[in-house]
Amino acid sequence: MGLTNDVPSTVSSQKKTVAVIMMGGPTKGTRFRPLSFNLAKPLFPLAGQPMVHHPILACKKIPDLAQVYLIGFYEEKEFSLYISALSNDLKVPVRYLREDKPHGSAGGLYNFQDLLMEDDPTDIVVLNCDVCCSFPLTAMLEAHRKHGGIGTLLVKKVSKEVASEFGELVADTKTGELLHYAEKPETFVSDFINCGVYVFTPEIFNAIKNVSSSKHEISSLRRMSSFEALHTATNSRAMQADFVRLDQDILTPLAGKKKLYTFETNDFWEQIKTPGMSLRCSSLYLAQYRVTMPELLASGDGNRSPTIIGDVFIHRSAKVHPTAKLGPNVSVSANARVGPGARLIGCIILDDVEIKENAVVMHSIVGWKSTLGKWARVQGGGDYNAKLGITILGEDVAVEDEVVVVNCIVLPHKTLNISVQDEIIL
Amino acid sequence: MKALILVGGFGTRLRPLTLSVPKPLVDFANKPMILHQIEALKAVGVDEVVLAINYQPEVMMNFLRDFEKSLGIKITCSQETEPMGTAGPLALARNKLDDGSGEAFFVLNSDVISEYPLRQMVEFHKKHGGEATIMVTKVDEPSKYGVVVMDESNGCVQRFVEKPQQFVGNKINAGIYLLSPKTLNRIELRPTSIEKEVFPKIAAEKNLFAMVLPGFWMDIGQPRDYNTGLRLYLESLRKKDPERLASGSTFLGNVIVDESAKIGDGCLIGPDVSIGQGCTIEAGVRLSRCTIMRGVRVKKHACISGSIIGWHCTIGQWARIENMTVLGEDVRVSDEIFSNGGVVLPHKEIKTSILKPEIVM
Repeated sequence: MGLTNDVPSTVSSQKKTVAVIMMGGPTKGTRFRPLSFNLAKPLFPLAGQPMVHHPILACKKIPDLAQVYLIGFYEEKEFSLYISALSNDLKVPVRYLREDKPHGSAGGLYNFQDLLMEDDPTDIVVLNCDVCCSFPLTAMLEAHRKHGGIGTLLVKKVSKEVASEFGELVADTKTGELLHYAEKPETFVSDFINCGVYVFTPEIFNAIKNVSSSKHEISSLRRMSSFEALHTATNSRAMQADFVRLDQDILTPLAGKKKLYTFETNDFWEQIKTPGMSLRCSSLYLAQYRVTMPELLASGDGNRSPTIIGDVFIHRSAKVHPTAKLGPNVSVSANARVGPGARLIGCIILDDVEIKENAVVMHSIVGWKSTLGKWARVQGGGDYNAKLGITILGEDVAVEDEVVVVNCIVLPHKTLNISVQDEIIL
Repeated sequence: MKALILVGGFGTRLRPLTLSVPKPLVDFANKPMILHQIEALKAVGVDEVVLAINYQPEVMMNFLRDFEKSLGIKITCSQETEPMGTAGPLALARNKLDDGSGEAFFVLNSDVISEYPLRQMVEFHKKHGGEATIMVTKVDEPSKYGVVVMDESNGCVQRFVEKPQQFVGNKINAGIYLLSPKTLNRIELRPTSIEKEVFPKIAAEKNLFAMVLPGFWMDIGQPRDYNTGLRLYLESLRKKDPERLASGSTFLGNVIVDESAKIGDGCLIGPDVSIGQGCTIEAGVRLSRCTIMRGVRVKKHACISGSIIGWHCTIGQWARIENMTVLGEDVRVSDEIFSNGGVVLPHKEIKTSILKPEIVM
């Protein structure tokens, strides 16, 4: 029995969905330093859960979900612990598929087509791991099935300045069809952006195949002149036939052909490219917990448990002294210890950190196993996008008593015994 | 004879180079730093070297296995589970250092390079018959260091003064020791400092003697001193073994080039340059007072001075790199870029000039 793609079906028991989360890999990660020295970016915790866990939780809500695939070029062992812990929790299998080399966002899908199609899915949800949003996947799937196209993109209206950093698109206001797409245009195209969340039908593999084979033809037909080579130096990978990008190579040519549609979201949306943004996105997810899973957040009034302001997550193994005051927007990870009279605002405290009496942490990320001495003050300015906008302490950094650290990035295993400001400390 | 090399920790001062390998394996004059020391120890008859390490022992051991065979010397690691200071590691390794023969053992600091006149040190030690010998070196600005005050006639150490405010002497501890096994009895198995706790006790018993280090001495634990150290090392090589230096019209002053490196036409290289294994220096390149590590490609017409170029970097055509620029592993500098003191972490691409000293993450 076959369902063709142009006949939208309303019988949901015949639908099957596979979710794919694009993870990227180590060579692309220099923007996430120094945190990426210790951990693959997808595992960095936001609001107490690894970054990749948030889209996975959203996928869990899809009623006809058959399997979740994680595609990336990190080594398997980076994720093996996380995935085995996950398999106990989720009711569907989760697999990490390792690319031998980067194939681009669409090339990665195409590379694993046979595996992805194993369960004969009718729909394929594709998410980027470093997107922070509410992932309205069930509603998106419904809309996608009604449209009957090859794919549906999640889109959002933003300010003009923000829009220019992403893919800008134009959609038909009545039908929702994607009419035009331009990746990071220099001049204004639209204030609607591509959120990096998609639903495709298996037709997408043909579309990728066509692009890939026309690239093969082009590259075998002509030799690039050295002038061209110079100008595509940074995109030299893009010239390779098996490197296919979703945005430039698939969405742009297919726009306006009644194949791609849009689904608008008005919820929060951010891209997590830097440690500064991970602090911001941790706060966004904490705010989301307030609505969807308030039991995960901490509460307290200073009597038997610490004073809590706003949204705060404290891992159950962490110890926080009742005279400490935490929040808003604080996340404390496993085995951390926060001493008497400490004050934490807008920060992520990673595993095994020790914060001694009366210390203050504001707008910072404190790395695994670091220690902050008595009356130490670690603070950032709060501008998540600036290069030294928040303070980041790498693994095992010791800040001695009474030392002040402002707007610094400190690499692992350093001891700070004098106050510093606006510096990168190697 | 036995020896212990204090390797210690993370080598953060030599970042970004130490983000790729542990500090003892960072190349100096085309050879891993620690190999200079191990070779000097082997030459004086040491048959076993213990490395006191608290970071990445597997990386060290993998590397050293190859050298164990080719050098014919036994190399073992003594791993500290917590930092043990400068004396604690000796207690940790005592079974290896004290083989019951009563023979003295060497203790070296892995950051130090010098001519390692170890044979003379052994003779001096036998002559004075005391418990311990330390090498001292003369410096211009002693108040930056720990000064060793000694009887100039026989070298008997009277006292140590940390960073003295007034002139008490101009000899400082060079980090090279020859100790009799008795010294191990003074060291408890806990973090201790050999300079602050152990040596002063031995000196009080008039049992500690200092020998003035002939030749050069440098602590190459940070990039600026690393470059000065290279100059001193090559100067010394010019006197002792000039065959190893490069010669020809391409070269100015003291330059060492690995035999597998390729150098194009019209280059001017030197003074004080080292070029590592597998490097390609294209035509028209000017290199002075710099270190070019293994596998680097320097493209045509580029000019590099006073800098350290890490393993497998690529330097673009007409690039100008100077003023203590340190490039980590696999950094690609585009054509025509100017770097004035950039410190660049591994795997970065530099596509815009760095006009004043800054760290690029």
